[in-house]
Amino acid sequence: MKVSPAGHRRRQRSGIFAALLLFNLVLVLLQLWLFVGVLESLLDGKTTMAIPAAILSLVILGVNVWMLDGVVRLTRDV
Amino acid sequence: MDEKLNQDFPIDWDEDHYVSRREFFKFMTFASGGLALGSVGLAVWSKMPRDHRKMDEKEIGEVAQLAAGGSLAFNYPRDHDLCILVQPEPGVYKAFSRRCTHLSCPVVWEPGKNRLYCPCHNGAFSPVNGAVLQGPPPRALPEIMLEVREGRIFAVGIKRGEA
Repeated sequence: MKVSPAGHRRRQRSGIFAALLLFNLVLVLLQLWLFVGVLESLLDGKTTMAIPAAILSLVILGVNVWMLDGVVRLTRDV
Repeated sequence: MDEKLNQDFPIDWDEDHYVSRREFFKFMTFASGGLALGSVGLAVWSKMPRDHRKMDEKEIGEVAQLAAGGSLAFNYPRDHDLCILVQPEPGVYKAFSRRCTHLSCPVVWEPGKNRLYCPCHNGAFSPVNGAVLQGPPPRALPEIMLEVREGRIFAVGIKRGEA
């Protein structure tokens, strides 16, 4: 069955969207893991990981916001 | 009330509200923002002074009450905070929170094995500094600061951090 160019584009967008969503989920889980790990280590009196983890968490947030912006633009005209 | 319930949980499939993928993506990004904010908060907290926390002192008991190798349960700083005073060696007094750092079961003193033992999951702690000796607890027991004056033992605060 021949797919029209518009349909093909829609399918591609859907695939990209799903991939971004999956990546977003993985990143949020990573953030959650970092947060719990740092909290545990702080309660144990170890403070060395707190700042690197906070920086990494902010970087992940940046990536997520960038992906959200991409997703909004991707689906604007759908 | 019923109308609201029917709106939130409609019987007909078609009337249900679905969260679009885009809305879900937004929600996850907000969650990411919350976690990032929390991580920054933890980083700020880690830089705050972690001195021992002095609190109102509370008399635990008299030295004569506690035999060498014995233990005495008490509550500090609040009435529902379980603690235990032990004398692992004659003249050496140590006190710790009784709440196991794994799942908060109360620990018991085992003088024969010179350890504080959590019977729930076989966790054990050192009576020297509360460090984990075995089992699943992720961190040491919080140590209670003590002062002995005129034959009486007082709890005066809680040790924090790596002390």
